[in-house]
Amino acid sequence: MPERVILAIGTKKGLFVAESSKRRHSFDLRGPFAPGVAVYAALVDTRGRPTVYGSSCNPFFGMKVLRSTDRGRSFKETKSAPAFPKDDGRALANIWSFASGDGKKELWCGVEPAALFRSEDGGDAWRMVDGISNHDHARKWQPGAGGLCLHTILRDGNRMHLGISTGGHYLSNDGGKTFEASNAGVGAGFQPDPYPEFGQCVHKIVGHPDAPGRLYMQNHGGWAEWDGPGGPRPGIGVLRSDDHGHTWYSIAKGLPSDFGFPIVVHPQDADTVYVLPLEPATRTCPGGQPAVWRSENGGKSWASLKKGFPKQESYFTVLRDAMDIDSLRTPALYFGTTTGQLWMGRDAGESWSCVFDSLPPINCVKVAVV
Amino acid sequence: MLGDVAVRLHVPGPLRPYCGGEQRLEVGAATVRAALEELARTQPALHRCICDETGAVRRHVNLFVNTSHVRDLAGLETPLSTGDEIAIIPAVSGG
Repeated sequence: MPERVILAIGTKKGLFVAESSKRRHSFDLRGPFAPGVAVYAALVDTRGRPTVYGSSCNPFFGMKVLRSTDRGRSFKETKSAPAFPKDDGRALANIWSFASGDGKKELWCGVEPAALFRSEDGGDAWRMVDGISNHDHARKWQPGAGGLCLHTILRDGNRMHLGISTGGHYLSNDGGKTFEASNAGVGAGFQPDPYPEFGQCVHKIVGHPDAPGRLYMQNHGGWAEWDGPGGPRPGIGVLRSDDHGHTWYSIAKGLPSDFGFPIVVHPQDADTVYVLPLEPATRTCPGGQPAVWRSENGGKSWASLKKGFPKQESYFTVLRDAMDIDSLRTPALYFGTTTGQLWMGRDAGESWSCVFDSLPPINCVKVAVV
Repeated sequence: MLGDVAVRLHVPGPLRPYCGGEQRLEVGAATVRAALEELARTQPALHRCICDETGAVRRHVNLFVNTSHVRDLAGLETPLSTGDEIAIIPAVSGG
């Protein structure tokens, strides 16, 4: 079968799947699956037989993991969802992230309250990863506005990077057995100490296989005007590391705001990175004018991409996992808004069009070519 | 096997896939807590929908014994009599 582009769209009212040919001229929409229930995490897993995963975060009856092996035509619940050990005292409140692991069946899952789980059988059985879930810092982390969530799982060989809001960036060098807070240069605006050891409100972290050691982070920015204890801390929202996340520095200069949620890297160019700046107070498009901003030199300078977007009166929010980029030679970006629009940016973001304009509020968008 | 106190447990529609489609289940238990413990043994998937991993009843799940909410009785220690019906009713919350 020719390659197909699959989008998994997690919304406040269930999981949708959109499918298109590589030309991406039109998408067929399927769903909602787990209708009426919020989906915060999704994964289109391209290892072996393509498998689509979604988290179904039912406030009434608990968390479920959905799995589809027919490219999102039908979903079934896996045999179990992550759960804390009975004597732990914590109870699962949400599932925030999935990441594929080694082999064809290993899966990782980040949850709220912040903890990490691992499955060796494609999501049927889960075991809590003690190295981070019971880290000495774990009981000191505090919830951000979205809850205390482990939302980013980024693997690089034996290294594993985790993003926790609000916990910060944690690094493992032994495949996820042990973790250390690794936040040198990562600022926090909501406490007197601008650069604490941990406790930052990291929003998203991405890397690229062609640039070993380089990472980009969207952190909780918007603190340039702060005049309280610790003083202003401009530019802490968009950061880069060149040493596997041991130290970080700002690349926010030139952006209209250093606040935002998602951050995405071009699949064929580690120097090309995308953010979607938002006003920190309202978390909506600055001036009511949406724009994705792109750097083609690793964050040294930025330019806006806004062809096709409304020029005014547009006040949506794009959440941390709601922007992704496909892996085709000339990739397209996709993002979903809390007002239920799914936008696609052709030619690596040069030209934008609204693919679906009336979905439920969108929490996450994940894309893969299968 | 039912104990001396046999009660019926009404399962709401959304939870029936977790207990083989049954609308009602027979349990033998002298208290609501014992009824939930029996469910944990006999219908673990259904029990996980009602209680979280700490054993607490989920925040948006209400349990009634006949027509009374257990919070107005003795909570999970509410005693049961043969013929009582426990109803699992999702809370009303919108949005």
